[in-house]
Amino acid sequence: MRFSLPRDALLGPLQIVQGVVERRQTIPILANILLTSEDSVLSITATDMEVELNAQTSLEDGKDGAITVPARKLIEICRTAPANARIEFSSSGSRATILSGRSRFVLTTLPAVDYPSSDSFDEVATICLEQNALRRLIELTGFAMANQDVRYYLNGLLLELSASGLRAVATDGHRLAFAECPMETRMGDGVHQAIVPRKGVLELMRILSTGKEEVELALSAHAIQARFPSMRFTSKLIDGRYPDYVGVIPDPEMCDKMVFVSRELLRQSLTRAAILANEKHRAVRLVLGPDGLRIIAKNPEQEEAEEQLEARYIGEPLEVGFNASYLIEAIGAVPAETVQIYFTEASSSCLIRPEGRADCQYVVMPMRL
Amino acid sequence: MIDNPVMPERYIMHVDMDAFFASIEQRDFPQYRGRPVVVGAQPGHRGVVATCSYEARVFGIRSAMPISEAYRRCAHAVYLRPDMARYAAVSKQVMALLNGISPLVEPVSIDEAYVDISGLEKLIGGPEEIGRRAKAAIQSGVRLTASVGIGPNRLIAKLASEIRKPNGLTVVFPQAVRAFLAPLPVSRLGGVGPKTLAVLERLGIFTVKQLQAVPLERLQYDLGKKSALRLHQQAWGLSSDVVDIRETRKSISKEHTFGEDTCENAVLCDRLRRLAAEVGYIARQKRLQGIVVTLKIRLKGFETHTRQCRLEQPTSSDRMIFQTAWSLYEESGYAGRAVRLIGVGLSGWDIERYRQLGLFAEIRDRQREQSLYAVLDKAAERFGKGMLRLGYCEEKGRRDS
Repeated sequence: MRFSLPRDALLGPLQIVQGVVERRQTIPILANILLTSEDSVLSITATDMEVELNAQTSLEDGKDGAITVPARKLIEICRTAPANARIEFSSSGSRATILSGRSRFVLTTLPAVDYPSSDSFDEVATICLEQNALRRLIELTGFAMANQDVRYYLNGLLLELSASGLRAVATDGHRLAFAECPMETRMGDGVHQAIVPRKGVLELMRILSTGKEEVELALSAHAIQARFPSMRFTSKLIDGRYPDYVGVIPDPEMCDKMVFVSRELLRQSLTRAAILANEKHRAVRLVLGPDGLRIIAKNPEQEEAEEQLEARYIGEPLEVGFNASYLIEAIGAVPAETVQIYFTEASSSCLIRPEGRADCQYVVMPMRL
Repeated sequence: MIDNPVMPERYIMHVDMDAFFASIEQRDFPQYRGRPVVVGAQPGHRGVVATCSYEARVFGIRSAMPISEAYRRCAHAVYLRPDMARYAAVSKQVMALLNGISPLVEPVSIDEAYVDISGLEKLIGGPEEIGRRAKAAIQSGVRLTASVGIGPNRLIAKLASEIRKPNGLTVVFPQAVRAFLAPLPVSRLGGVGPKTLAVLERLGIFTVKQLQAVPLERLQYDLGKKSALRLHQQAWGLSSDVVDIRETRKSISKEHTFGEDTCENAVLCDRLRRLAAEVGYIARQKRLQGIVVTLKIRLKGFETHTRQCRLEQPTSSDRMIFQTAWSLYEESGYAGRAVRLIGVGLSGWDIERYRQLGLFAEIRDRQREQSLYAVLDKAAERFGKGMLRLGYCEEKGRRDS
């Protein structure tokens, strides 16, 4: 195959796909990327067998073909080439030659047929939404995903498609984040769940824009695709049953205690108090009563921090312990000036919401102190 | 003398009972007195020496030596099987006697304890007087001798107690620490086993004084960051001076020596399951939950290895301890080799004070498992340990009922 492109036109797509190139090369060809040139389109694909990224760019000239080349080396060559350089790529046999200005590189290649391409994609559901809407769903929830938990199905983000819209849920078993984006989906009564692995979520987040351009999400039984005009993201799904998240979100009607508090004040107070919390458990004690909210932290050296906040509290006085990090992360994600936190008792979860809204909700289990 | 109430001198006392098991036997059975006594495995069987009397040490017998080797060195010694219940009762008495001197007693094993004796000058006297007091209390209380070391921290106290044994008393004052350490062989320091010793000797380091002269960076290059730092600190006499009375036991472990070497999975698996159940039982009795599971395995030719795994959640569950230990065995690289001894341990105690609660049903599962063990442990108390155990489904290796 043969093609030539301005350096920037090649570097852009390469940088999109580079995130999934396998660093630990268990299978040698996974350190390579697949280049395919067909009908004046250059298609670049990288995969780690779980997440696949594909980016395209148009070609003016060249000869069709397909080959795989070492990803890092090709990216470094393009990256370090002068900004206005033109890159000429050609391959024959087991070698690829790259010419750029007065530089010449010869890389070893592996045949394209050996590249693990994604299986055929039998889509069972699709929706179109604005990229910033999908981005927002991930931002509101992604932080609560588990990381390398033995409950493998928690190491990802649940996307749930139903007649009412798209939901995202993440939990590590101690706290849970929920967000939804109401929209028309033509789903009827069906509900479709997909657990996207952590790595896929992070890669998807990286390529989503903050604008209103659309992205098409497609689900098959074992994979998810996000289709963009000149990019395609594919990720295998985690095969497992997601726990019943609806059952663990407390019903506000059943909570007899509630506090309204400024999000920023609470976040800052928690951050300060946590300085003197036990480094491992990060435990802080919240004391709620008619005077508002008090946050107390103590560490094993018996040092103490105490923060007093103005807050409107309704209910019987309550003392409850939490991992400060869980609260800080949940509150940090709430898209409102004032947060509303519902409680029932010291050994039950609390529900955190933006004031007067329910499109994103956070559940945090307390610590026994 | 200047009275300094802000920073009083710290004095830690290390009390080490002399040949503890053997001395108790000699105390209780006059016919053993003056004779070499070896407590441990039975000669002709397999296992090691637990403790031996000073008369036996003359023959070169040492703790942890294979019993066959001990027998070869001294066939006419008195060989006794350990009677742990009796020794534990004496140990309890000793700790209580020490408690009479200072309430800050941290037993570190059945025959050893650290005692914080700081600030007792006005009550009792100087460190030396306190040491004499402790030895006298033990002598009159249980008619046994102990070796006592006193120093500004745990390390110095321990090294001091080893200096004159048996029945010794050594006090190292803060200003004498460097001179005290200098002539000691490096092998006396904690964490110096055969491998580290070989590295140090290659560097020409035999005494602590020589070790003091080596920059930390140089040591770290050869020994790795952590162990070099530990060694360096010891060389300069730095160590913790905290006596922890809260949790006395650092780990719970059980091991078993096979009658003959075995590499059969079924035998090892069953044994490990029994050992895990014993460890779990003790942990539950002590209300402890550990986060580190250790597998110990001794192969043919006394080659001993350990493997550790840190769990997600602290546990005292037989099943969890067994499963972790078994996967450690499978991943150890020794599977299939002939095994002489296998053991399992639990450590890394969870401070029960803080407990993050979980969202999902598995918490309830764990609670159910806990109540199951409560029933099991009660049965063990009534009918004897091991009479009732969890059943396992052979092919799946899962809990059956």
